Amino acid sequence: MKKKKKVDPAIIKAREERRRKKIEKQIRRLEKNARQLKPIDEMEVSLDIIDQLGKRKRPTMQLSPAEAEARALLEKEWTRYKREEYMANIAQIDRIMASQRRALDKLYEESEELYDEAIMPDLQLIPYSINGPVATPPIKNYNSPDGDYIDVSKKWDN
Amino acid sequence: MLIKKLLSREIICHKVFIRALSAKPSWDIVTGVCVERLPVVTPPLNEIQKKYKDMLYKIEIEKSLKSDHELRHENDKVQAELLKNESADIDFDAVSKITAQDFEDACNEEYTQFKFASIETDADRKGDKTSIERCLQRHLVLVTQLKLGKDLKELLPQGPWKEGETLRQTAERIIKEKCGPELQVQFLSNAPCGFYKYKYPSEINGKVGAKVFFYYATYKAGSASKSKVNWLTRKELEETLPERYRKSVQDFLIEETY
Repeated sequence: MKKKKKVDPAIIKAREERRRKKIEKQIRRLEKNARQLKPIDEMEVSLDIIDQLGKRKRPTMQLSPAEAEARALLEKEWTRYKREEYMANIAQIDRIMASQRRALDKLYEESEELYDEAIMPDLQLIPYSINGPVATPPIKNYNSPDGDYIDVSKKWDN
Repeated sequence: MLIKKLLSREIICHKVFIRALSAKPSWDIVTGVCVERLPVVTPPLNEIQKKYKDMLYKIEIEKSLKSDHELRHENDKVQAELLKNESADIDFDAVSKITAQDFEDACNEEYTQFKFASIETDADRKGDKTSIERCLQRHLVLVTQLKLGKDLKELLPQGPWKEGETLRQTAERIIKEKCGPELQVQFLSNAPCGFYKYKYPSEINGKVGAKVFFYYATYKAGSASKSKVNWLTRKELEETLPERYRKSVQDFLIEETY
């Protein structure tokens, strides 16, 4: 059996101190980094484009009064259309919710236990994903001619 | 005061009477399942949507900067001009390369050669209602043939609830029974989304009728085997389902705008 070495309490204290300081330093460093925002590549205009800005500007077009008027009218018509669409959507949601409410009420009349089961949250549903719709139907057995798909989006650590 | 008391007593009596009545007839509990295939392809734009989209595109181009391709095209034009004038300092390397116009033409050709899949599928051409690959731009609802009493009816798949099951489990079982195990669907809730009740012509096992609780599910994959199954659009649903039943079903379905 090895004999345990006796350590001077002062040394232990110093060791603790050193460790604490080290962690504190790390925390400080992390905090400093936290204030730095992740760069967003898409939002930085490349220098190339800034250089050629004069060349790339389109000649400013003067809209004819008739055209401007037509656009304004279309904008108004669009707003009305969207409003109608929105109201129809709301009515639709109300209708569907009322239908479900009615079904649940009838179920309650019939059997309280079934009702209790029915109002339980559906936990299997949660990682839920849905695809589509798309602009053109998929072609069956289609091989993309342009090689492989490479995901170039950058990964950022937290 | 007396009248009031009398009245209130009458009301209580009435309530008790009604409860006794309503508790008396017993109903079968039946679960129906509405399986819907969501549109695969976006529906066509209507008049105003098209107009507004065109306008947005125009505004977008007006506000944009010129692209690399456009710059190249302009550069080509300048070079061609220089070549015509036979000016001294022509960069021959620049002239001999493919012009932007050539590139554009090649791209356009490739585009015209590409065949997009047709929105009208084989099933549409044959008028095959049993296929899931039909009317890609519309919602389709699964309908099966059911024997109710003597007559065969086209309804949503349904079946009786069994003791010990929740209604959701009944719904899942019914889909398996009626459409085979290959059809995969995604149920969206434990709660029923619609209700319908009908009376039997005569009492069966002491039950006066059935109360149908509809569950909603979306189509995921696979195809229905076993019985004859039709996938119907909203319009066809209207034509096939019986009047009152149709109303209950349409109450929880999303309306199609085109």
